[in-house]
Amino acid sequence: MIRILFFVLLLFGCHQVFSQTCCSGGVPLSNNLGLPNEGKGSLTLGLNYDYNNLNTLNAGADQLDDDSRLRITNSILLNLGYAFTDRFSFETLFTWVNQTRTISQFGNENLSETQGIGDAVFLIKYAIPDWLGAQSVMHLGVGTKAPLGKSDLTTAEGFQLTADLQPGSGAWDILGWLSVSKGLGFRPSATLSGSFIYRATGENTSYLNNTSNYEFGNVIQANMGYTDQFLLFNTIFNPGLILKYRKASVDKVERSDLPNTGGEWVFVRPELRVQITPSISFSSRLEIPVYSYVDGTQLTPTLRFTTGLAFTFKSNTLNIIN
Amino acid sequence: MKKNLFLIVFVLVLASCSKSSTQNATSNPDEVENTSVEWSIPVAEVLDGGPGRDGIPALENPQMVTAENSSILFDTDLVLGYKNGDDIRAYQHIVLDWHEIVNDNVGDVSLAVTYCPLTGTGIGWSRVIDGKETTFGVSGLLYQTNLIPFDRATKSNWSQILNESVNGSLAGKKADLIQLVETDWQTWKAMYPTTKLININNTGFSRTYGVYPYVDYRTSDSRFFFPTPKDPRLPLKERVHAIISDDSAKAFRFSDFDTANAIKDFFKGKNYLIVGNAKFITSFELDANQNNLDFEYVFDGASDVVVRDSEGTEWNVFGEAISGPKQGQRLQASQSFMGYWFSIPAFYTTEIYANSN
Repeated sequence: MIRILFFVLLLFGCHQVFSQTCCSGGVPLSNNLGLPNEGKGSLTLGLNYDYNNLNTLNAGADQLDDDSRLRITNSILLNLGYAFTDRFSFETLFTWVNQTRTISQFGNENLSETQGIGDAVFLIKYAIPDWLGAQSVMHLGVGTKAPLGKSDLTTAEGFQLTADLQPGSGAWDILGWLSVSKGLGFRPSATLSGSFIYRATGENTSYLNNTSNYEFGNVIQANMGYTDQFLLFNTIFNPGLILKYRKASVDKVERSDLPNTGGEWVFVRPELRVQITPSISFSSRLEIPVYSYVDGTQLTPTLRFTTGLAFTFKSNTLNIIN
Repeated sequence: MKKNLFLIVFVLVLASCSKSSTQNATSNPDEVENTSVEWSIPVAEVLDGGPGRDGIPALENPQMVTAENSSILFDTDLVLGYKNGDDIRAYQHIVLDWHEIVNDNVGDVSLAVTYCPLTGTGIGWSRVIDGKETTFGVSGLLYQTNLIPFDRATKSNWSQILNESVNGSLAGKKADLIQLVETDWQTWKAMYPTTKLININNTGFSRTYGVYPYVDYRTSDSRFFFPTPKDPRLPLKERVHAIISDDSAKAFRFSDFDTANAIKDFFKGKNYLIVGNAKFITSFELDANQNNLDFEYVFDGASDVVVRDSEGTEWNVFGEAISGPKQGQRLQASQSFMGYWFSIPAFYTTEIYANSN
C-alpha cells in the first residue's frame, strides 16, 4: 500500500500540476479536515486531489464581463488520522500545491506558475458521542497550521512573487474546529451534519525578502449537509448535498488592510462516497458557487472539484462513536 | 526501515519540486518576446504586483466623448490633460486607476499616457521609438512601488519614473516626454470647454469606473502595499511637481504658489519658469532671452492663459504663445511630472524648492 501511495505521489510531484492561494481560493485546508474516529488504535489515511478554478471577475457581488484572468490551483492533500482513544484522536493534513496565473489579453498569453509543498495542519480532536441522543456525535478540535511551504519563491528572473502565488503562507495559524452529526430516526441511513471552522491567521514577518510583512485574512467556514446511503451492485454508496458558507477577512500588508482581498461566499456541494472495500472508500465532490461577494474587485471561484481515497487501518468496530 | 526510506524519499522529491516559472506566448508576428535577464535596476527590488502582465489592461485609442458627456466625473476628480493644436483631451484618473496606460493617437502625435496609482505619477511618453510606433502595456511588475510598462514591439520593460527602458533590447533608451497637465476636471473644462475625454461607457473593458480601487491609499501616509523608501521631509502622499535633470530632481509644492504664482528658478544649470495655483502646477525651461523677461500670473479660471511676459505675450498652460509679439511660439516644456512626494526621492536625489531659497 505504501509503495502504491509513494508512486502515486511521485507521479503528481514531478509533473506540472496546478494549485492556488488567491483572492478566495487557497489551499483547501478547511475543506479537507474531519477524518472519522474509527475507535481506539485506528489509523486513517486520506489522499485527495483538489482542482480549484477561478475565472470569474467580481466587483462586490456583481460579475464583470471579463474572463481574461484565470487562476488554477491543483492540490494534493494527504490526511493522516490516528485515534489514541475512542474520544481523542489526532489528524494531520499535508499539502502539495501548484498554482498558475494566466492572463489572456491582446492576443498574448502570460503564464506564471509556482509549485511546492504547502502548509500543513495538525489537529487534536475530542469526540462527544450521543450528545444529541442516539446516533449523534460532536467533535471538537483545536490545532495549528504550520508554515511548511515556501513563501519566498521568486521568478526565474529573481522577482519576488506576491503572497497569493506562494505555496506557503510563511505564518503559523490557529484553528478551531467543530463538527456535529445526527442520524435521522425516521430514516436510519440518513445523516444530518454540520461543521464550523475558524482560522486565526498569523503574520509572515519575512515577506518580500524581510522587507515587509503579510497576513492572510482570518477565515470562518461553516458547512451543513445531508447524506444518505444506498446499496448498488453490492456496494455502499453515500450521496450527500452540502451547503457551505465561507467568509475571509481582508489580508493585511504592513498591518494595513489590503484592498481587493476577502469576501463572502456560499457554495452548494454535491458529493458522493463509495465504500469500495470495508477499509477503502472513494469520494468525489463538486463545489459550485451560488453567491459571491468580494471586497473590491477580485477573481472569485468558478468551480472546484475534489476526489480521493480514504483508507482505514485497524479500525475498532466496537468503539463508542460509530 | 523500508517504510521510513519511502517517506524520506517522498519528502525529498516534493521538496525539490518547489519552484516557479513564467511563460509568455504571443500570436502577433510583429512582437518578439524579451528573453533578456539583464536589468539596469536591482532585480531584487522588482516585485510582482499581483495581476500579471496585461492583468491590468492598457487602453488603445479609446473612444472619446465631449465634456457634456463626462458621465460620472466629479468637478474635483483629477485628469491628465493633453493638447495638440485644437485636439484637446482629458484622461481621467478614474479610468487610469484601472488601466494605468492609454495608448492614443492625437493628430500627428503617438502618445502614451502612463499613470501609476501607487506613486500618483502621470507622465506622457512618445510611442515612437527609433522611428517605429509601438504601444505600451502594463507588465504587472513594480519597482519602488512604481509602474513598469513594457513596449509591445520588443517586450522591453521600462521604469515609468526613470523614463527609461531598464530591461530588454531597448535597455538604456530614454522615453521622450510629452507634456501633460494634471488638474481637476472643473479647472480643465473651464480652460478647454471643447475638450474630449474617455468614454467610460465604451472602453472595451468591464470595470467599476469611479470606484477607487485602493481604499484610502492616495491620502493615507501610512498605507503602502509594497516596500519603498519613505523620505520624511514632506507628507508622503503630498502631490508635488518634480522637475528632473539626470539623476536629480527638484520638487515644488502647491503651497509654494500661495503667495507667488509664477516662479523663476535655477536648477542644475538651467532656468525654469514654474506656474501654479491650488489646482495645477506646470513648468517650462527658459532660454537666456526668455529668462530676461518678467512673467506675470494672469490666470482667470476662464481660459488657458496663465502668464503674460513683460513684452506683452500671453502664454497658456502648455507654454503656447496665444497672443502678443511672440504669438505662435512656444516655451519649452520642462522634464517634469506630478506625483506623490515619496516617489520622487525614491528615484532621484531630490531637493525641495522651499528649502533652496
